Amino acid sequence: MSVLSASRRTNPFSSLTKDPALLMSVIVIWFFLLLFIVYPLARLLILTFEADGHFTLGNIVSILGTKYQLKAFKNSILLGTLVGICGTSLGFLFAFTAVRANLSRGWTRFLDAAVILPLISPPFTTAIAMIFSFGPKGLITHGIFGLDNFNVYGLHSTLFAETITFFPIAYMTLKAILSGIDPNVEDMAYSLGSSRWRVFKTVTLPLAIPGLANAFLLLFAASLADFATPLILAGSNFPVLPTEAFLQITGLFDLKGGAVLSFTLLVPSFIVFFLQRYWVSRKYYVTVTGKSGGQSQIKSVKPVVEYLLLIICIAICTLILYFYVLLFYASIVLAFGANDTFTWKHYHLVFTDGLRAIKDTLIIACIGMVAGGFYGVTVGYLVAKKTFISRQVMEVVSMLNYSLPGTIVGIAYLIAFNDPPIMITGTALIIICCYVFRYGATGIRTTVAILQQIDPSIEEASFGLGAGSMETFRRITIPLVLPALFTGLGVVFIRSMTAISATIFLISINWTLITVRILEKMTELELGVAAAFSIIVVLIVFVVTILISLCLKGFRQPGAPQMSNILGG
Amino acid sequence: MNIEAVDIRVENISKTFMHNIMGKITAVDNVDLEIKPGELLTLLGPSGCGKTTTLRIIAGFENPDSGRIHIGGDDVTEQMANRRNIGFVFQNYALFPHLSIFENVAYGLRVQKMPSGEIREAVSDVLKLVGLEGYDDQFPNQISGGQQQRVALARAIVIKPRVLLFDEPLSNLDAKLRVHTRGEIRRLQKSLRITTVYVTHDQEEAMAISDRIVVMNKGEIEQIGTAEELYFSPSTEFVAKFIGKVNTLQAAAGPGGEQNTRLTIFGHIFEGEWPQTDIASGRTLNAFVRPEFVKLQKNTEEGHFTGVIAEVTFLGEKVEYVVDVEGSLINATSSDPFEHEIFSPGQKVGIQLFSKNITIL
Repeated sequence: MSVLSASRRTNPFSSLTKDPALLMSVIVIWFFLLLFIVYPLARLLILTFEADGHFTLGNIVSILGTKYQLKAFKNSILLGTLVGICGTSLGFLFAFTAVRANLSRGWTRFLDAAVILPLISPPFTTAIAMIFSFGPKGLITHGIFGLDNFNVYGLHSTLFAETITFFPIAYMTLKAILSGIDPNVEDMAYSLGSSRWRVFKTVTLPLAIPGLANAFLLLFAASLADFATPLILAGSNFPVLPTEAFLQITGLFDLKGGAVLSFTLLVPSFIVFFLQRYWVSRKYYVTVTGKSGGQSQIKSVKPVVEYLLLIICIAICTLILYFYVLLFYASIVLAFGANDTFTWKHYHLVFTDGLRAIKDTLIIACIGMVAGGFYGVTVGYLVAKKTFISRQVMEVVSMLNYSLPGTIVGIAYLIAFNDPPIMITGTALIIICCYVFRYGATGIRTTVAILQQIDPSIEEASFGLGAGSMETFRRITIPLVLPALFTGLGVVFIRSMTAISATIFLISINWTLITVRILEKMTELELGVAAAFSIIVVLIVFVVTILISLCLKGFRQPGAPQMSNILGG
Repeated sequence: MNIEAVDIRVENISKTFMHNIMGKITAVDNVDLEIKPGELLTLLGPSGCGKTTTLRIIAGFENPDSGRIHIGGDDVTEQMANRRNIGFVFQNYALFPHLSIFENVAYGLRVQKMPSGEIREAVSDVLKLVGLEGYDDQFPNQISGGQQQRVALARAIVIKPRVLLFDEPLSNLDAKLRVHTRGEIRRLQKSLRITTVYVTHDQEEAMAISDRIVVMNKGEIEQIGTAEELYFSPSTEFVAKFIGKVNTLQAAAGPGGEQNTRLTIFGHIFEGEWPQTDIASGRTLNAFVRPEFVKLQKNTEEGHFTGVIAEVTFLGEKVEYVVDVEGSLINATSSDPFEHEIFSPGQKVGIQLFSKNITIL
């Protein structure tokens, strides 16, 4: 009967007129979505395509006509593609090792923990550590090899840093896919006489292809949107779109130019968004074939290869950990590379001069966390459980700000809320709204995922036992979506602590953020203070992540997400 | 635990669904039933026959397009599921994953706002009844499938429902547990005397557990009767083939004009009472004979016609044969292989049929 129930839809109009509570919530949600997602993007588009009150492509043509800006566009695409390829390969290697190399629980945990670090760190950490390692006074280039003319700036470093920062996203995507492949399918191929390599080539890899495609698109989008790494590592010879748009606005005060540049970023982002949503998501193979039988040891990998895979993974993890140790070291010495005298000076500065930024960030993160968590659960519940006109459009629109590069969202907010009717530039509100409607989307996705896993019969069972719809909602539905709420809260908080690409356009004299202070300290070459700030953020985020993981562990139902699975993407 | 047994009347209910691809589908077509107080009635049929939809309409999870539902004389057609006082056991059990076993079972009583002392007593009584004492604090994902099934049952009966409804409750259990559990369900139902409707696609399960069985096909009722009635006197070809195994033999009416008492099968003339033979002599009919009524004789002279053993399957308490008769394959089952000789493939045998075991539909 499941086929039938899927198509059993009540008239979407009548459900709105019959249920005033639903009607009210749909109207309220749409009001916010239009105001904080559609309106800013519309203003951005208008600014891009308008000149003297007319529609024109002239703005785009003139910007892309500039050799330098065209180069930025090409560079962005090139960088995204390379990061996509390298990150997906590295992620696959990690995922394959974790799932198929017979690792003990301890090793798997170690991989998971090391890999999550880049995801919960402020965006500059890898970039700063790169400078410390390979820069003019770098520990490796200068300190070990004595090189003085090694150029750390450019494509190679940006690619390396972004790969290290973003490959965990690929790892998580692919780990889920690989562990979903029934090992019996591989065993079957062996029993038909295939060699290990042949099984990998003809069974494992083809089954993982949709996952690989998905990982590539996620990484491409992440690299395209990344603002912090290229700002520090790309250098002037390798301009990319997000940094160019930023410099256009903050350096040249050219809002229109920034808007047009960010629009050119919008096109590839949209392509990726729709490819991912409507193409890759349909390509997933279902390998569930009846009851999965008993499984002996997985034989897909030769012991030698197992060790080799593990060694590579450990090497990469060591590199990541080395970056963090370096960062910490730089935060407790006077001047890294020049004067290695121990000092708390940088931390002292962070807690005096930088205290405002910390306070502001925490206030914004806390308010945003609560608002974003509830926003996510509400929209997720409406989209997954209710039938009403505009439901699917609502789902797509609610994902927009999350899917688009932060630079676009930031510039769009700057344009939209700088003048009447809604003038909130310079307030904390604009930053909070930006976070809520950007990162609240994670809560929406988690809520939808959880609600889809809850069989309708669970609610029917409650009705059958005499509970009305309000009582069922209170006793069954709310407790079941609580994990989604915690996830939503957590992600909004963590992202509020670490994000910069959108909000760098929205800070003001009154409200500033830690990440922006890190950037300032970087440009003022106070690297020790920047490192100290970064360490503080990493610590706060780490503690919060653990707290939320503990909360999530308390839920015993299927579909309760793991913290590590929600930070990707 | 005393529950007053009530009857259920299902009056001419119909239900159609809109399907994305296939368009309008009639899931239940004018189904009319009466379930007696304390009876266990099974809705049996292949998937898509409308049995689950009928059950869900009785429960109130679906509204019929037309027709009425009466429980204990009350018309409940317009009543919501939560007002009907039913106990429903779902195929996937639908246990609340965030509640302990105790709280799962207590759920319906908490909804009724029963004082917690009484809840504690009622829940521990019913957990004892289904053999799950001491599991109070476990969670659904910590217990086995069979235990989950019993929690679902306990949760359904603890509210003392007027009727108990089962939607393929055993399909997620392994074969042995299935047989054991169906016995438990039957014992419990008999001792509580709750009017029960049970849905399954497994004919053996239906025969083992039911007072009466309703065979459904394509949204309609084919036949209602006890297991014996359905087995020995199926009223349609569908029922004959769905309940147990059956041979379909080519038969000819007659010979002998309009006498309607004769049937010719493989050249042998059988005499009996078949109203359907009241047609022109020589017209072909389908004759249905169950394999256990096909008697094989070593001495070919003793058979009504002869055949050659094509396949032999030894199953311990019985032996199944496939016999080739003039190119048609006939299934025969011989029980008590100890007494009888086991034939071997290629052996020529005589085949004996008895008129009373031949059904014409």
